[in-house]
Order: sequence, then structure tokens, then C-alpha cells
Amino acid sequence: MNVMNRKLFLAGALSGIAVAANTEHVFARALGSAPLPGLPGADNRVLVLINLQGGNDGLNCIVPHADPQYYSVRPTIAVPQGDVLGIDARIGFNPAMRSLKAMYDKGQVAIVQSVGYPDPDHSHFRSTEIWQTAAPDRYEHTGWLGRYLDDAGLPKNNLFNGVAIAQVLPEVLVANQVDVPAIAQVNGYGLIGDRNRAARTTYTQLVNDERLPFSSPYLQHVVEIEDHAQKGSEELPKLIAGYKPAGAYPATPLGRSLSLAAQIAGSNLGTRVLYVQHGSFDTHISQKATQDRLLGELSDALAAFYDDLAAHGNDRRVLTMTFSEFGRRIEENASRGTDHGEGSPLFLVGGGVRGGIYGTYPDLGNTSIGNVRFATDFRSVYATVLERWLGRSSGPILRGSFPTLPILA
Amino acid sequence: MATALVPNTDVAGMARPAGELDVRRALAPYAGPWNGRLAAHLLRRAGFGGTPSEIASLAAMPVHQAVDQLLNLPAADAIAPAGSLYSLSAAIAQLFPNGRPKDVDDMERRRIFEQIRMGERDSIISVQNWWLNRMLATPAPLQEKMTLFFHGHFTSAAIQKGVDPQMIFAQNQLFREYALGNLRDLTWQVSIDPAMLIYLDNATNVAKHPNENYARELMELFTLGVDHYTENDVRESARAWSGWIVNRRTGAAQFVPGRHDDGTKTFLGQTGNWTGQDIVSIIYRQPACAMFWANTLLNFFVYNDPEPALVSSLANAIRAHDFELRPIMSMLLRSNVFFSQRAYRALVKSPVEFTIGTYKALELTEVGLQGQRALTQMGQVLFYPPNVAGWPGGANWLTTQTMIARANFVASIVNSPAMTDASWLQSVPMRSQEAARVLVERMLLGDASGSALAQLSAYLDGSNTSALGVLSPENFQERLRGGIYLTMAMPAYQLG
Repeated sequence: MNVMNRKLFLAGALSGIAVAANTEHVFARALGSAPLPGLPGADNRVLVLINLQGGNDGLNCIVPHADPQYYSVRPTIAVPQGDVLGIDARIGFNPAMRSLKAMYDKGQVAIVQSVGYPDPDHSHFRSTEIWQTAAPDRYEHTGWLGRYLDDAGLPKNNLFNGVAIAQVLPEVLVANQVDVPAIAQVNGYGLIGDRNRAARTTYTQLVNDERLPFSSPYLQHVVEIEDHAQKGSEELPKLIAGYKPAGAYPATPLGRSLSLAAQIAGSNLGTRVLYVQHGSFDTHISQKATQDRLLGELSDALAAFYDDLAAHGNDRRVLTMTFSEFGRRIEENASRGTDHGEGSPLFLVGGGVRGGIYGTYPDLGNTSIGNVRFATDFRSVYATVLERWLGRSSGPILRGSFPTLPILA
Repeated sequence: MATALVPNTDVAGMARPAGELDVRRALAPYAGPWNGRLAAHLLRRAGFGGTPSEIASLAAMPVHQAVDQLLNLPAADAIAPAGSLYSLSAAIAQLFPNGRPKDVDDMERRRIFEQIRMGERDSIISVQNWWLNRMLATPAPLQEKMTLFFHGHFTSAAIQKGVDPQMIFAQNQLFREYALGNLRDLTWQVSIDPAMLIYLDNATNVAKHPNENYARELMELFTLGVDHYTENDVRESARAWSGWIVNRRTGAAQFVPGRHDDGTKTFLGQTGNWTGQDIVSIIYRQPACAMFWANTLLNFFVYNDPEPALVSSLANAIRAHDFELRPIMSMLLRSNVFFSQRAYRALVKSPVEFTIGTYKALELTEVGLQGQRALTQMGQVLFYPPNVAGWPGGANWLTTQTMIARANFVASIVNSPAMTDASWLQSVPMRSQEAARVLVERMLLGDASGSALAQLSAYLDGSNTSALGVLSPENFQERLRGGIYLTMAMPAYQLG
């Protein structure tokens, strides 16, 4: 497809009209319909995906503190050796990530190094799309977790099979068959205008009005969203009302998002995947202050999240995975920042994780035009999560075969 | 894909029959029936909807005169926002001793910067409010619509990286000035606009350490689209753009020859000692550039996923007019394809269109903080696009959360004190069937089914419930407000 028309194609596809004509997904569903045998408990598991928006600089996150080259190309922004929270002789956490380091020491954190994909794209927009659709070599209008939701045969009448804790639905949760609500916060997720019963009854009938004197590619989509908004906003507060967080979360946007995620994951809504976002990591200028703050917020919010989950007995059924559209340039720029790069590490966190270091250590002497060369394809990590956590065959969802990693028990 | 759903007859008798696009006629002037429904369509696309009298006034003149009237814009430089615009450099100079943040201790520095942040925030809120009210009240809505279009296209965000309210307003005025100007000239002007230089880091792009951020987005998002350049073109373009800074003291853009890489660059196959201005010229000589703009304009003003033949046809016209927008918009807004069935209600209203359109339909004359807060919930805050790609639009506007925000905004506005003064509300006949028709005509230009009308009518006279009691003059006004809420909850009202 002509790239110029891609955005438009996406818009059309999202409207729900193009979807019926997509034979590819019917084929995919037929192939992927059987759950993997021998994965007990998969029905009860939750995946939380955290998008580190903007391109997290991997080298100042998991720091190669023994590499002199790291210090020579980053004269002003390198993390001093003495500050690094050491993991082994070669790498360690950024000092802002004390809480996550403590979880790592308890074996609850897996770090996959140098993750990326072949022929990397350096645009935020396209690379984010690539990570979300799991399609570096073509354009997909569904996200990889959207395809999982389509594939998993979940109850059609459940409005919360997947939940995006965001104002706007991210591409990763765009599905053909399942509509995923985007809920920024529960407070405010409710209709204030139809207090009386007469208005409410009429509202329901009016929003389902499809016999209109015009046709629009978005009409069906509007009707569906209005219907879900009304039902979902009535149900959600009731469904999660019984859950009380076990402790305080940091007063940050990510802290609030993960608090809601714990509430949803712990309230028997049948939710399989949750999406939250954090950022922006796009640190072209004065990187240190911004990235340190964001990494500290990530680390503290994750620690509070797992304390809360553990207190409710959910820490072993909730897996959290981070991703970012790319790492950053190895050499710092003139603005004490870094430009768009390639490979970078990601984290898998939870009671079900085999903690430790996976993948390949970044080699600053063997770069890809000044960037960390990727060694582990991100689709291998996705395949691992699909097969070993969510219990689905990954081939149809990822449209290809990718080796899994031994991260999940 | 959508054509299969187009019915064979259309109540407004719009030009294009269902089925294939006739590309030879698509951009030719529309000469079919003309009425309020189509005038409202024109106002939704070229503006932010219309009050009943604005719609009636356009419907009363021939279609071409209506389009000409919309194309008639006042000079942009005569327009200034109420209140003063906060300048970061001025605040630093004023609040720090000797204007030097370094001279004070950490605590004091933090306190002053917090004070500056609050000042900036208040200033931005007042500029947002000024712009929203201008959209509502302007006699030239297309000028503001183009400004909004460019704001989402050549994205810069406020209060990030030092983009202060004064800069973001200057950029906004630049868009207003070029509303129907030349796209190549605007691209150059926006490239050296202080807010843009800071937002996409070209102000720190220096020969020794080129910063590629702007060079990349200029091609990917602003002029060509991906796949029309290589990574090497990005790097070479960044070299050509090196040397621009924003003067911290004056807030003005400035070219510093000592920071510029004046070596030879090879960009999009052409070799020379290129500067930023050369880069813009070379980009605009690429066939992909006219295609890109044709596609972008069709998506924003006509419908999503336009046929490739239509894109090519408009791209040819764009080239023929050397990227001058006035003749292009003049052609597009009066074309057969613009008034076709496929275009009608074929776009999702953006939150700004939804909000301003609602004020207009209700004949409310001022956008207050209520409307501004609602825009945050609906997902569109002026001067704060989500990222450099702007607002994705289309189906992305509609999630359960943003749909709830739309309904709640309407609920709060119909119950606001301003509605009590809306005189049209007093003159709605207290007969439920007629009242339902009045509401559907005013809010939806009749775009509701017979059964929806019947439901609305039943709600208004209380016959579908005992909860409302017998219809009386006392409770009729209250029911009308409920009726407005319900009419604006109908699916058609979400579509532009």
C-alpha cells in the first residue's frame, strides 16, 4: 500500500467498515483457535503493558558502568560509576530505580537487553506503530494485543476484556471483534446528563438509531461506542467498588494509572490485558533531569503496584511488561540529550517471572549507525508472553514464528 | 468499501450517484440543489458549524457566492488577543536579580520558576479562551479553521522546553496569516518560527552535533510522508538546518553562521551547499509533496481514505497553482466531491468542532471555562497536541471515555445559566411533535430517522413514562433541555 494512504486506510479500518472485508483475520482466527495445552491458570492471568513513550534511553537506564567507551561518548550525561545500582560486573540500574532494583533482588524482574527489530525506523510515529502492531515490514490496522483479544474467544458481552487506561485507545488494543474501552480515570467515567429514567430509556433508543437519511463510514462505530459508553460506565464503578488498595501509590499519573489497573485486575472483570502509559522520554535536550525523574516514577509506581497486588494475592497472576519505541543514540548530542536510536532494554515484572538478565549486552564498539544494535527481536518477547503467559499460540497473532525466551515459569 | 452502504436515493439530492468516483467531474463546481442542509455541511467543514441564521443566510445565496463569502478573510495582523502574553525571557529578566537564575540558591530558583510556570499556565488558558471565542464569533470561520488545521499539522506544543505563550501565539498568528497563503512559504516560515525551532530542537542543531529531529519531521509529517526519503537525507537535511537559534533574551529566531555547517550536502539526490531554505525548495519540487498535501487536505476537509485518482487529480491542481492555497480551497469547497453523498457526515467531529458547533446551535455567545475543561476530557487541548504527529482524528476521537465527556459537556451546558437567556428556547411550541422537529432541525439539520423523532417526541410529552408527569408550561422548559441533550446524543451529531 502507498504509505501516504496508510493513515487514511487506518482511519477507514477503524471505523469498522473495512473490518468485515478483512479475510486475513478470519484465517488467523481459524489457525489460532486452540489454547496451548499444559498452561494451567492462563484463563485467570492479566498482562499489563506500560508504554514508555518517546524512546527511553536504555544506556542510562540499565547502565554499562564498566565500559570506558560509554563514559567517553557521554561526557556530561553518563551515570557515574559510583552511583550505579550494580547488577553484575558490567551493568546496573540507574540510581533513580532503587525500588525496582529491590524487586530485581527478590527475583521479580527480568531485563531483556538490546531489544529491537531489523531495519529500525527512527520516527516516533512509525516505530510506535511497529511496536504496537508487531509489524515492522507491513501495515496492520490491528494491534498485537487486539489480535490476541480477537483470537482468545473471550465472552462477547464482557465490555472489559481489555482496558486502556488512557484518554485515547492505543493502536496495540485495536481489534477486529473486541471493542476496548479507553478509561483515563473512573471518576468522570459516567454520564451525568441522564439522571431520570425517562431520559435514560430514550437515550438508549436514540443512540442506537441507525436508520438515518445519510450514510457514513463512522456511523456504526459511533453507535457501538455510545452503547458501550453507556453500559460500561454504569457497570464499571459497581464492579470495582469492592476493591481497596492495600497501600499508598505515588501521587504521579503513572501511580494513579497502576492503582486503577490493580483495582481492575483484582475485581473479577475478566480483564486479560491492560495498557498504561508513561513519559515523555523524548530527551533530545537536558536528558538527565527528565529521564531520572521518569525512571524514578516508573520504579516507585511498580513497587507500589506489586505491593498492592501481593496483598490481594494477585502478584503471581499479573505480569507487567514495558516497551518503548526505540532506544537512543549512544553518543550524547550538543544539548546534553540524545537523539533517536535503536535497540534498548525492556522489563518484565511480576511473581510469575524468572528474574534475571536476558538477551545480549549492548556492544558500544559494534553499532548500527551510532545506535545500539538490536539482538533480540521484540516479537520474541511478545511470543513468550503470548505462549507462556496468555496461553495462546503466537504464530497467527504475530503472523510468523519467533523463538520464545525462558523468562516465564 | 463505504460506497456499498450509500443508499440509492438521498434526501438532499446531492450530486454524486452511489458508486464509482467520476474523477473528471469530482473537482468541477457543484451545480446541484442547494439548501440549508448543504449550507450547514459547508459551514461544518469550512468553519465550526453555524447558528440557524448563519446557515439560513448562506442557504439564501447561490452556492458559489456562499463559498466566496467564506474565502473572504480579514488581515490577520489586525487581530490581537485580549490580555498580555507571557514571555519566559521577560519573566526571567524581571524575577531574577540581574536576570540570572544562577545567582540565586536552589530553593529560591525553584520558587521563582514555579511562579513562572503558573504565570505561563494562566496566560495559555487565556489564549485558549481567546481563540475558542474567536472561532465562535468570527465572521470569517475559514480563517480559524485553517489555523486549527495548521496547528494540528505543523505541530508545536506550549510550555515545553521553553515554548512560552508569546511564542505559541506568534506561531498561531503565522498560521492565520497564511490561512489561504502559499504552502511552501508557510513551510519555510514555520521552520524558522521560534516555537517550532524549540519544540523540534532545530534551535540546538549545530554543525558539530547536528540534531535531526526537525529534519526528520519536516519530511515525514509536514511535507512528504515516510518512504519518500532515506535516513541519509535526514542527516544531510539536519546539516543544512544547523545554525538557527532562538535568542534567549529577545525570544526571536536568529541565524548564526558560525553554528552552520556550510559543507556540501546531498539531499534527495541533489548536491550543493544547501541551507534550510534550499531544503524546503527541494522538498517542494518532489512529486510526493503535492500528493501529500492533496491527501492531507482531502482527509481534513472532504473524507477519509480518498480514492488515489482523486488524490492525483487534486495534486495536479496543487502543482498547477504552485502550492497557493486560495485557489485550491476555492476549488475544493465548491466541488462536486465536497457536496457528494460520500462526503456528507463522513468525518468525525473533532472536540473543538463539537464544542464550538454546540455553542452555535444553541445560540450561546461565549465559551467559558466550562467549554475549555470539557475539551480536556474530550481529548483536544489547544496548544497541547499529544505529540508531534498532532491529533490522529477520525475514529480516534471516539472512545467510551471521550463519548461520555461529549454527553456530559452537553448536559452541563443545557443546564447552565446562559441557556436561560436563550430566547429561541422560549419560542419553541409546547407541542411535543413540533418541538421534537424543531430540535432535530436545529441540531441535526433533520438527520434523524422517523422513529428517533417519535422517541424524542414521546420523551417531550412524557407519554413513554409516568416519571415526568403531565406536560405543563412549568415543566416544558425543563423537558426541552432534556430534549436538547438527547438530540445531541444522537449518532449523527457526532459526525461532521
